[in-house]
Amino acid sequence: MAVVKVYSTPTCPWCVRAKQYLSSKNIAYTDINVAVDRNAAMEMVRKSGQQGVPVIEIDGNIIVGFDQGRIDSLLGIS
Amino acid sequence: MLQLKMAKQETKTAEKYFDLVIIGGGPAGLTAGIYAGRARLKTVIIEEMIAGGQSATTELLENYPGFKDGVGGVELAMAMEEQAKRFGTEVIYDRVASVKLSGDEKEVRLANSVIKAKAVIIASGASPRRINAEGADKFHGKGISYCATCDGALFRDKRIVIVGAGNSAIEEGIFMQRFTGDITFVQDLPYLTAEKILQERIKSHPQTKFYLGTLIKSINGTDRVESVTLKVAKDGSEMTIPADGVFVYIGYTPKTDFLKDEVKLNGQGYIITDEDLKTNIDGVYAAGDVRVKEFRQVITAAADGAVAAHSVEKYLENK
Repeated sequence: MAVVKVYSTPTCPWCVRAKQYLSSKNIAYTDINVAVDRNAAMEMVRKSGQQGVPVIEIDGNIIVGFDQGRIDSLLGIS
Repeated sequence: MLQLKMAKQETKTAEKYFDLVIIGGGPAGLTAGIYAGRARLKTVIIEEMIAGGQSATTELLENYPGFKDGVGGVELAMAMEEQAKRFGTEVIYDRVASVKLSGDEKEVRLANSVIKAKAVIIASGASPRRINAEGADKFHGKGISYCATCDGALFRDKRIVIVGAGNSAIEEGIFMQRFTGDITFVQDLPYLTAEKILQERIKSHPQTKFYLGTLIKSINGTDRVESVTLKVAKDGSEMTIPADGVFVYIGYTPKTDFLKDEVKLNGQGYIITDEDLKTNIDGVYAAGDVRVKEFRQVITAAADGAVAAHSVEKYLENK
């Protein structure tokens, strides 16, 4: 099973949408709240080069924003 | 031969039929959904993000009547969504690929399905206008953000520039004060445009800096934002100030790309409607921030939603 992480903040609508989408496809994920976890925030910026959420990591592949097409292709959702 | 034909039918895109399809689940679309549901129209709302749309990025709405201490943008949107569903309106989370609006049967194409309906309300809203300055594309997401509520926490104790000084800019500036005290506003006009109460609040923090009558010339850095070069409108003089983050609130762009040429728009791309919120096409209405209007607020969007749903009801009665 794919290892999925969602770097998010609680006040970001696209983060909510990304998590709702993963749940609707029965994909288990770890939600990392970068608003409270500063180390995770730094890790997200280092991995993605991004200072904006959501950042989604699927088996080491980084997706910036809610890019449904890339999420689907990395998870094999048709 | 017969087998082949059957297989073809199975892969055909799913079609669903409704009286009314509402494009956009912000305050306008959700309110239209409430009224249409109560009018017993078979109604579906298509939303690409989450209920509330842009209003869901507002931390606290203080001017929506009925909530004396304010109400969270997400909280209000969720309540509106539940209210619409209670009256039978469906909500689908998907992106609209294209539309066919002329004729009696309207079509809204999603990724894997087609919605067919007798009437359409376009309530797709608007998205933040991108800043046009050198470095704007290079540093998008690398220090430039259009949503402080989303990304603000990533700029704790950093130096922040906020572009614009309208309601959204000042509200987000007040939100950012919980993360950093180093906030500079840059506004092209020589005065603040936000509500007076917001101006009073932001000015009560004496460390907040304002550059009015000033433009952003460039956003500079190596891998991420390090500084911003400003240009004074009056005399053209320039100065560069250090900055780690740039939050942009310089107005909106209507989300009307998917409409192609069918619906009549004004020069800025907003939908032109009459008093009943009808567009140039029979059975097609527009509500909320996406249409030509003077004052774009949650309450004026909600009011539009009610009017548009009522117009649809009358239109369908006369069909």
